Amino acid sequence: MRRRLLAIAALALGAALALPASALAHGLVGKQDLPIPRWLFAWAAAVVLVVSFVALATLWPRPRLERASEHRVLAVPPVVEALCGAAGIAIFAISVWAGFAGTDSASANLMPTMVYVVFWVAIPFATLLLGNVFGAFNPWRAVARGAAWLFARAGRGAEAPAPLAYPAWLGRWPAAFGILLFAWVELVYVNRDDPSRLAVMALLYAAVQLVGMSLYGIEPWTRNADAFSVYFRLFSLLSPLHWRERTLFVRPPLAGAPRLDPVPGTVALLCVMIGTVSFDGLSQGQLWTGTGGIAPHLQRRFLELGFGAEVALELAFTLGLLGMVALVAGVYRLGVTGMHSIGGPHDTTELGRRFVHSLIPIALAYVVAHYFSLLMYQGQAMAFLVSDPLGKGSDLFGTATTSIDYTLLGANAVWYVQVFALVLGHAAGLTLAHDRALVLYRRVRDATRSQYWMLAVMVGFTSLGLWLLSAAAQ
Amino acid sequence: MTQLPLAHLGHWYQSLFYLVPVVLVVVVLWFQERRERGRDGDAEDDEPV
Repeated sequence: MRRRLLAIAALALGAALALPASALAHGLVGKQDLPIPRWLFAWAAAVVLVVSFVALATLWPRPRLERASEHRVLAVPPVVEALCGAAGIAIFAISVWAGFAGTDSASANLMPTMVYVVFWVAIPFATLLLGNVFGAFNPWRAVARGAAWLFARAGRGAEAPAPLAYPAWLGRWPAAFGILLFAWVELVYVNRDDPSRLAVMALLYAAVQLVGMSLYGIEPWTRNADAFSVYFRLFSLLSPLHWRERTLFVRPPLAGAPRLDPVPGTVALLCVMIGTVSFDGLSQGQLWTGTGGIAPHLQRRFLELGFGAEVALELAFTLGLLGMVALVAGVYRLGVTGMHSIGGPHDTTELGRRFVHSLIPIALAYVVAHYFSLLMYQGQAMAFLVSDPLGKGSDLFGTATTSIDYTLLGANAVWYVQVFALVLGHAAGLTLAHDRALVLYRRVRDATRSQYWMLAVMVGFTSLGLWLLSAAAQ
Repeated sequence: MTQLPLAHLGHWYQSLFYLVPVVLVVVVLWFQERRERGRDGDAEDDEPV
């Protein structure tokens, strides 16, 4: 059984790493001048992870994060929450308006940068530092809460209960599907940068959320099915700051992750989060998109089946996207199956759910490593886009003539940040998994043995991440 | 004519270097796990969590 597992693991990891070299779709990296070959960083990262594993096994004999407490710091008045919600609605409305009324140029219109840089990248960074800030600014939640408050006032009573109970079996599956759909738009859809289409999709998404909240209640829907709320909330579990009911608490970093309720769909959501970012890197490489690459090869197959050129390309990229998610899910499943092989009362499905929180820092590490340079460079575009959101020559704040400073960070600095983020993220994942194993297994030795497999998974994910990043710099 | 990606071996052979630590860790952990299983009888003395 273990031999078969080993063979499958080697094949899966081999396939992951021997796939064609790639670049990062959104990584803006110049020429690097590193003192050692890039692949040596992967070796060093593996050494760091192994040393971390040994240190955890010897110096961390009791669960700490599972039982960590948090301390109340401050509370904010309800008016602040209302103001944040109003600000969220205003930003959403301005972005959609820019999408419809502004220029078609993706770089001159506010909408694409707002969606792909501020919303998709900057909020996860802010969430890690400040806690779940999106919860306060979430525009569709703010609209729903405002409407519920108005209805309650009109009826002079308490807010009406939701007409339907959120189905337990549905769990976070809608969120997993929503993130996959967004990734498809970002990475596969040929009109992904069209501002007016983005505006239509934003309105459609908001409408679906409003319907969902009206049927199942604002909080149950937001916690489980609103893809972006769930996505940002997962990252907030790593933050030392925790917002709850307008009250701020402080806790040790990572201590929120063990509190994740692993409802159905949670494993799928984390695999989608890691797999889609991985595909973003893979999809830009010469051997994916270049002459003789996998994508043109697949596209030709779809053309032969009678599809048009555009649809054939989208189908090829869709296959790649789903394949990468499946690869990540497969590697995680192998780690969990390996854990199960040491014995104990927990079946593979349960182990998969109980350890899924250890994937959160890996997902965030991939986001940081992958999008750091995009945020640093394209984030500067917000300076001129807020002054000229439509791209039609206005200068509301006197910053319309600013430009992006590409010398802000050197290519080497970007690379070191990426490596540091990946290693730190995977070490954090190891720590969370080790802490959980100490709770699940009766003996320290069994807990440590169970984590051999998780160590292999972490080293595999680290090497995959560094390989994707290094290919971008070639 | 369809070109297979594998034809571009020269472009990505360095990718195999990224696989080395993964293979090493898996092999070492496999042997360690085998040794641990052999010592399972002694595990009774281990301190429970």
